Amino acid sequence: MSIRAVGSSRSRYGARDKVLGRTRYPGDIDMAGQAWMKVRFAGQPHARIRTLDVSKARAHPGVIAVLTAEDVPCNEYGLIYFDQPVLCGEVVRCEGDQVALVIAESEQAASEGRDLIEVDYEPLPIISSAEAAMRPDAFLLHPERGDSNILAHYKTRYGDAPIEEIFDDCDVIVEGVYRTGMQEHAYLQPEAGLGYIDESTGQIVVNVAGQWMHEDRIQIAHALGMPEAQIRVEYSAIGGAFGGREDMSIQIILALAAWKVGRPVKIIWSRHESIIGHHKRHAYTIRTKWGASWSGRLIAAWAECIQDAGAYAYTSSKVLGNSHLTVTGPYEWEAVHVDSYSVYTNNVPGGAFRGFGGPQGHFAAETQMNKLAERLEMDPVKLRLKNVLRDGSQLPTRATMPPGVSMGPVIEAAARAAKWTRQGNDWQRPATISDAATRGDHATATLRALPGHRRRGVGFAAAFKNVGFSFAAPEENWATIELHGGGEIERVVVKAVGADVGQGAHSVFRQMAAEAVGVPLERVELQAAHTDLVGSSGSASASRMTFMAGNALIGAARLASRRWEDEIRPATATFGYRPRVTTELNYETGESDPNISYGYVAEAVELEVDLDTGQIELLHVLCADDVGRAINPRLVEGQIEGGVVQAAGYALMENLVTEEGRIKTPYFSNYLIPTIYDIPRRTESLILEYPDPFGPFGARGMAEMPFIPLAPAIVAALHDATGIWFDQIPLTPDRLLEAFKRSSVRAFERKA
Amino acid sequence: MYPAKFDYYRANSVDEAVALLQEHERAKLIAGGHSLLPSMKLRLAQPAALVDLNFIADLRGICRGDDGETTIGAMTTYAAVTDDAAIATTFGALHDAASNIGDIQVRNRGTIGGNLAHNDPGGDLPAVALALDATLHVAGRNGKRRVGAAEFLVGLFEVALAPDEVVTSVSFPAPVVGSGSAYAKFENPASGYAICGIAAYVEVSDGAIRAARVAVNGALDHAQRLAAVEAALSGVGCGDEAAIKAAASKAADGIDEWDFMSDIHADADYRAHLMRVLTAKAVRNACDRATG
Ligand SMILES: Cc1cc2nc3c(=O)[nH]c(=O)nc-3n(C[C@H](O)[C@H](O)[C@H](O)COP(=O)(O)OP(=O)(O)OC[C@H]3O[C@@H](n4cnc5c(N)ncnc54)[C@H](O)[C@@H]3O)c2cc1C
Repeated sequence: MSIRAVGSSRSRYGARDKVLGRTRYPGDIDMAGQAWMKVRFAGQPHARIRTLDVSKARAHPGVIAVLTAEDVPCNEYGLIYFDQPVLCGEVVRCEGDQVALVIAESEQAASEGRDLIEVDYEPLPIISSAEAAMRPDAFLLHPERGDSNILAHYKTRYGDAPIEEIFDDCDVIVEGVYRTGMQEHAYLQPEAGLGYIDESTGQIVVNVAGQWMHEDRIQIAHALGMPEAQIRVEYSAIGGAFGGREDMSIQIILALAAWKVGRPVKIIWSRHESIIGHHKRHAYTIRTKWGASWSGRLIAAWAECIQDAGAYAYTSSKVLGNSHLTVTGPYEWEAVHVDSYSVYTNNVPGGAFRGFGGPQGHFAAETQMNKLAERLEMDPVKLRLKNVLRDGSQLPTRATMPPGVSMGPVIEAAARAAKWTRQGNDWQRPATISDAATRGDHATATLRALPGHRRRGVGFAAAFKNVGFSFAAPEENWATIELHGGGEIERVVVKAVGADVGQGAHSVFRQMAAEAVGVPLERVELQAAHTDLVGSSGSASASRMTFMAGNALIGAARLASRRWEDEIRPATATFGYRPRVTTELNYETGESDPNISYGYVAEAVELEVDLDTGQIELLHVLCADDVGRAINPRLVEGQIEGGVVQAAGYALMENLVTEEGRIKTPYFSNYLIPTIYDIPRRTESLILEYPDPFGPFGARGMAEMPFIPLAPAIVAALHDATGIWFDQIPLTPDRLLEAFKRSSVRAFERKA
Repeated sequence: MYPAKFDYYRANSVDEAVALLQEHERAKLIAGGHSLLPSMKLRLAQPAALVDLNFIADLRGICRGDDGETTIGAMTTYAAVTDDAAIATTFGALHDAASNIGDIQVRNRGTIGGNLAHNDPGGDLPAVALALDATLHVAGRNGKRRVGAAEFLVGLFEVALAPDEVVTSVSFPAPVVGSGSAYAKFENPASGYAICGIAAYVEVSDGAIRAARVAVNGALDHAQRLAAVEAALSGVGCGDEAAIKAAASKAADGIDEWDFMSDIHADADYRAHLMRVLTAKAVRNACDRATG
């Protein structure tokens, strides 16, 4: 009982039930008298609906109701802008647009009814790339939102002189055109849920797996034209999210269906429906040019970032802000000139995904940094340490970094753990970072040339990422704590509804509450199931939940303890934590105080590449992540390992192919994600704890960070192995061979 | 997805299977079901009736004739082939291929006969059958016949089989003394299907290759022998890495551009490249087995 709650690897809350298969995910829940729902998707990327005939579906045996646009009281939604219809009535803008809902007595009858709906489409021009969408004569996808397809444009103009003049004074210039692909969240549990009427309160209830139940409620209430109190959102167990459940998929339609038919309505999406039906990580094209001095001082950066937003805004503009900020890396600059564009197309919409713009921005920035190190013949660690952001540094937004900047120490710690050697200010890259045991007889190979057709290489990259919402998005997190007992506190009831998407949020809520109240963990009981318990926790995103909920819990514990001392029984207090308010990017200059806190991470990678086949094997990934304070170290390791594996998929194999707006890879048989055979042979977590001055117990957010530097670190290792720079991910074997063919690495004849 | 409606018949003998095929319109045999059922669920195949071969005991098992020929019943699973020690030593290519098909579930259900009868471009056994000079035994309304693998494996998902015929077994001639075979593949990580697979059989004497049969599946629309490679291997020393590579570099020679598979996993150029790389690998391994 004397074990402290914070800082110990207590087993995950609810783990036992998950292992025993007792945990109920939304798809596992059935209600008496429930009906089934199927969605009729547009199935095409851009068309006008000439006619929509649902008469056959309505007449089909077992069909209870067919709902279309006319049935939605306020037919619009969207986290940032209300630019998306719940059900399309006039125009469909992407394959996954929802056109009609069929509610029936059985799943099969609902499917049959769905297939009987007749839609006559008039095809419209398909805009399948951001570049095409930006042409002045391009078809406007959202004419109501202005006279171009550009949904957001951010600028940064930082420095005393025009950027070209400053480049003239630079000794070295490196350039690149970086392309990153879309990525599917691939959570284990596809979208599923129930909508029903709670007879006792008269509320419409939606039970789903999401990331932010109060926002779901706002969106549902808006579309149904009802007061929020009329709606309740419940979360059952959530089988992964990664950002993919932040926007609406089935939330609104479940509420609509339950309300219209007055019965419980259930839906379960297939994997195919899930991949078509929710957003993806945005594809980016980033053109950039960096200038530095011979001594290795960064001077000027220019970049143009183009983000394919897809058919609707989702959180694209916010993602854009993050890539805009990170495309110059965690470094100090004299001058920065960046233009970033988010552009509507007919592709599947882009939205939140672990890293939220950070991976794309850093892929360009960190590869630029590694190229620069090569040009300067300087070790990449040394070059980073010379330029790294520190306490007091100014960002290109002219804001001072929030205190507690640990980027330098994190880079050093990662380099040392990866066997970099240091003499004075000089750093030396190791021939290998993995253990001799896994290297066999190759440990001596300084050239990293293995016998035959395999080569090894080592690479390094770093990253920083905001903790909490950026750019003036309102932050808040509410918690209630009740202290029960007489002489001593026997039971603590915590009400905090932040989503446990599998990352272990509910475990750390309990640990932080126990610590803040000063009781053993076993006495803490958590209630987190629905919106009526307590105020919003905000989204389980932006690496913010531990940070924000922890501060809310500490606040509530402090107030409740005071009442306890005043002999009030039970002693109850509710606290809403609101951090310092940030500011939006100025549209002309990019001035902004963007974030309240950051997390810092650095990674080293060793890999082996097969020059004959273009296959990459990750031998060793070392991730040094400053988490401020590891509330639960084992959960932190889980996030590091999971983040690294997911990023390995992003960098190497996850190739979401679209053609004329259609996803060609809507199954796991053709959208390949890493399995046990593909993951790094070893992932080493180095947990660093430089406290964040505003973090609960010093904790910083951490769950996105390990994802971010992996792709550029892999590219650096690949360069080390082959001498070739790759500016595009994923690094599929055929792309590698194409590049080998063009270089001197290995002769590769084309077929006759 | 659900398959369309179909009738189900269990055959208790080969004759009964042939009769059922004749009796029912659009009837199809079902063996392991690991190709047929997925295509029915995707509605790529919509047979009106299935005739189940799983209850015909005669169709399972491996036997060796006096002449050293090995005959494998059509319904023998990959797992059973993999576990057979004699096959592992005498027919290296078959063992390599069968033991790496798909995953455990697929190997426990999928059959030798089904694999060849389906002739999937990504299947692993067609090239092996060609390199090991296999013969298929077929039963139909007019009795039994034998057909060589090259003649049987006609094209993309196409074989020389009448709608009412059943493959009953596949036989492999005894390899000559001093021979060896191997199979090398580059697979789709999700399914295991061959993006390119090469089966090589070599006969070696005095340290040099006297005869070779090399075949590809995965890279082309159907499995084929690689005549140019086979010719170039003749006389090549088993340890002569450069000469093996030179011969392997001819792997894609003379093949029509249209015969190449090309999709989101690998385009035609990449598959042509893999043919050369894997040919060298398979030949090298076959030589090691012939001499080792
Ligand atoms: C996940 C997965 C991974 C796979 N990976 C691989 C792989 O890596 N390599 C590989 O080679 N294959 C792979 N396969 C395919 C698998 O090997 C199939 O089992 C095989 O292709 C067909 O054999 P079957 O016994 O299952 O035949 P079925 O699916 O039952 O039948 C296939 C076809 O052959 C016909 N047929 C079957 N038996 C006979 C017979 N005796 N006479 C005449 N016609 C017959 C059927 O009518 C049908 O048209 C994979 C399948 C799955 C589902």
